[in-house]
Amino acid sequence: MTDMTPTEPTGNQTRDLSGARDMIVCENVSKWYGDFQALDGVSANIKEQEVVVVLGPSGSGKSTWIRCINRLEIHQEGRIVVDDVELTNDLRNIEKVRSEVGMVFQQFNLFPHLTILDNVTLAPIWVRKKPRAEAEAQAMALLERVGIPEQAQKYPGQLSGGQQQRVAIARALAMEPRIMLFDEPTSALDPEMIKEVLDVMKALALSGMTMMVVTHEMGFAKEVADRLFFMEGGQIVEQNTTEMFFSNPAEERTKLFLSQIL
Amino acid sequence: MSETSSATAAGSASGAPPPEVTRLPPRQWVKENLFSSPFSSALTIVTSIVLLAIARALLSFIFNPIRQWNSTATNMQLFFTRAYPDEQYIRVWFSLAVIIVLTSISMAVWRAGSSIPLARLGRKLLAGAALLLLLALLAPFSASATIQWTLAAACVAVIGEGVRRSASKGGAERTVSSLTVLVVTLAGLVASLWVVPYGHHTYIPSRQPRVLAESGTVALTTKLPWTIMLLIAVAAYLMGGVIRERLPVNPTRITLLILWLLAPPVLIYLVLRDPSFDMGHVISTDLPIFAAYALGGSVILSWLTRPSTGEAGRILAVTILVVGFCTFLTPMRMVVRLDMLLLAIFALAAPTFAGGPRNRKRYVLGWLGVLGVMSWLITAINTPSTVSVPGGFFIGGFSITLMVAVFTIVLSFPLGIALALARTSTMPIFRLLATWFIEFVRGVPLITILIFFSIMVPLFLPRGMHLGEVAAVVIGYVLFSSAYLAENVRGGLQSVTRGQHEAADAVGMTTAQKTLFIVLPQGLRVAIPPLVGHCIGVFKETSLLAIIGVFDVLYIGRIVIPGQTEFMGSTKENLLFVSVIYWIFAYQMSKASQRLEQRTGLGER
Ligand SMILES: Nc1ncnc2c1ncn2[C@@H]1O[C@H](COP(=O)(O)OP(=O)(O)O)[C@@H](O)[C@H]1O
Ligand SMILES: [Mg+2]
Repeated sequence: MTDMTPTEPTGNQTRDLSGARDMIVCENVSKWYGDFQALDGVSANIKEQEVVVVLGPSGSGKSTWIRCINRLEIHQEGRIVVDDVELTNDLRNIEKVRSEVGMVFQQFNLFPHLTILDNVTLAPIWVRKKPRAEAEAQAMALLERVGIPEQAQKYPGQLSGGQQQRVAIARALAMEPRIMLFDEPTSALDPEMIKEVLDVMKALALSGMTMMVVTHEMGFAKEVADRLFFMEGGQIVEQNTTEMFFSNPAEERTKLFLSQIL
Repeated sequence: MSETSSATAAGSASGAPPPEVTRLPPRQWVKENLFSSPFSSALTIVTSIVLLAIARALLSFIFNPIRQWNSTATNMQLFFTRAYPDEQYIRVWFSLAVIIVLTSISMAVWRAGSSIPLARLGRKLLAGAALLLLLALLAPFSASATIQWTLAAACVAVIGEGVRRSASKGGAERTVSSLTVLVVTLAGLVASLWVVPYGHHTYIPSRQPRVLAESGTVALTTKLPWTIMLLIAVAAYLMGGVIRERLPVNPTRITLLILWLLAPPVLIYLVLRDPSFDMGHVISTDLPIFAAYALGGSVILSWLTRPSTGEAGRILAVTILVVGFCTFLTPMRMVVRLDMLLLAIFALAAPTFAGGPRNRKRYVLGWLGVLGVMSWLITAINTPSTVSVPGGFFIGGFSITLMVAVFTIVLSFPLGIALALARTSTMPIFRLLATWFIEFVRGVPLITILIFFSIMVPLFLPRGMHLGEVAAVVIGYVLFSSAYLAENVRGGLQSVTRGQHEAADAVGMTTAQKTLFIVLPQGLRVAIPPLVGHCIGVFKETSLLAIIGVFDVLYIGRIVIPGQTEFMGSTKENLLFVSVIYWIFAYQMSKASQRLEQRTGLGER
């Protein structure tokens, strides 16, 4: 966790992860909703501690892909291996993978009937079987880390969107995951709250977490991502290091997309 | 309206009034709310006339001299307990005392009640006086009666004005606890028992079958028990205060909740059943079965809750379930089968509660508790009552209504929730069974089910198992009610968004954990209004008991009392009285549901 080299102020493009092991392996993953093919032969390897950003127009299959990785969606063809565990219908594999993969949703999805503290401690206590006192101490530390320890006794409905999303990140981190998935974490937020969430995510990336982020925040992508994926029509159209991706996109469609969004 | 009518006086009286909602002076309030436009003026006038006409009609009905209100007053005991033997009546009083003690302690522990400003209390009394005056003028009284009622109104008005004046004394706004007001009111009612002749048993002891108590037995003696009850209530409340100060909060509350859960079965048992068991049977059969399950179950469960037990545990749990179903194929005691099924449920749920030694111990204790209650219930149902009176059910009236309603509601909740979960489950066999059951029960009239359970089921029961008639009926009610309840709960469950399911999945919760911690709390919260509506429905539908020969309160008011030679044709009076009883309870349930909604909704939105 701490073997980062925090000397690169320009981001981590120069990070060499070629020696790291694969955390997520996707091979020819395909998925259909009825007749509609949402994923079409997606292949990618994501290394330990790597931060990747997935870009693409709406409906291109970004969410579907990221949700396949903790099996909220079930892929029909191909292989997905997460931290050396292949995702199959075996219930134990799914539970193992889910407790190692944290997920942050666009709509936060906090549990509205529980306090912030209970939101964060519920899974550690019942899934990880931690003693309550330990789980609460850890939860308070995490809330401190995302900057809202004073809200612990409130309910989600009493918090702003940005605060809720930070709680959602803390809730995911409380399971001590090795991988974090973010599906458009700032898209439902008012502009003034986006930064506070992105800051938490940046700090997380710097701490060495393996992260897969679907976002339209180009600033975040440029600053934090090691690699970018561009999706369209359920396929990965282009993938490259961040520097190359922005300075020298290979595909026409990528160029078009970048010209629209930048 | 009553509160604002004297608002200006109170506002200026109470020193520096808190600037909450600015109160308008009465004339202005009336103008803004009732006569703001020609249309609203017309509406106000028409409504007032209609209301006055209705009130007048009702009052003429109630105070008509031909009304036999003494038929109601005299038959209070019949209304509430029917023919419960006088020499056993102490059991009824004792049960009531237990409920009162529990209520009072709970009120103290949960700090029920609020403080009412004296000024407001005074205004309320003034409003009451106004109502009394209205009554005196509207009702078809003789001149002397009108004067009496007017005098009563004047008395109340004087007291109200006195209270209102005293509120302004001493500068700061003075308040009084709502509980004090309640106790004073109750004390007034109880005191009136000693002075007002509320009715006596004056029956000719020749009518058969004799279902009424002899004259002067219970009704006359209620004034003493009620006085004692009031004292007990106050004492228990004070004790509750001490408990609240001295003992830790959460254990006290949990203990009280458990006592509340245990109270209905225990008390109903106390009222209905013979206190002397067939001890021989209990020692030779019931206890050994209980001990075997307690021991075996504890061993199995403590192994199953070990985090390291994985798949083998699940296989064992399913095996127990299958064995449990198989026991129904061979002749066997019902207890053995039911205990086996219970063990299967606990075994299936065990992985959810797996954890350290403390968790496991707690789970095993839970098993012992549930097993104990269930064994005791089965023994209780199988012990025939010896409190018996000629003519079938010895008890009846409102107590049977309440008993059946409480039992049905308490038992059909877990069953209904289980059915709803089964119907929404991903496992086809559960879904199918639940759907079939629900659709079948909903397609059959309640009366059919009741008749089936009261007449047919005792014929089909295995040898060695009795089932009291009331117990049989309650089981029928429970099945019926749980089917409807399941649909209400299912509606609530479906309102839980997909995002909530996904968030629970994403942190690695099992389906059981997700259901228990995320889906049920949110779903039930949404389902509170329909669920309470359902409970009120169950409460009122108990009147169908009459069809299978149980004398419930409605039947007594409708048939029994108007059939007494002294009170021929007093149906209307007694029906009105019965409606008031039903209304009081249904209204309390409705209010409780609103409070529950507010409380559980606190954190949301
Ligand atoms: N549950 C579903 N049923 C049917 N079609 C779906 C479902 N979820 C997503 N889709 C379709 O799959 C495509 C990809 O969706 P998604 O992965 O959410 O795209 P993105 O996140 O890139 O906007 C879209 O065309 C969408 O309409
Ligand atoms: Mg999406």
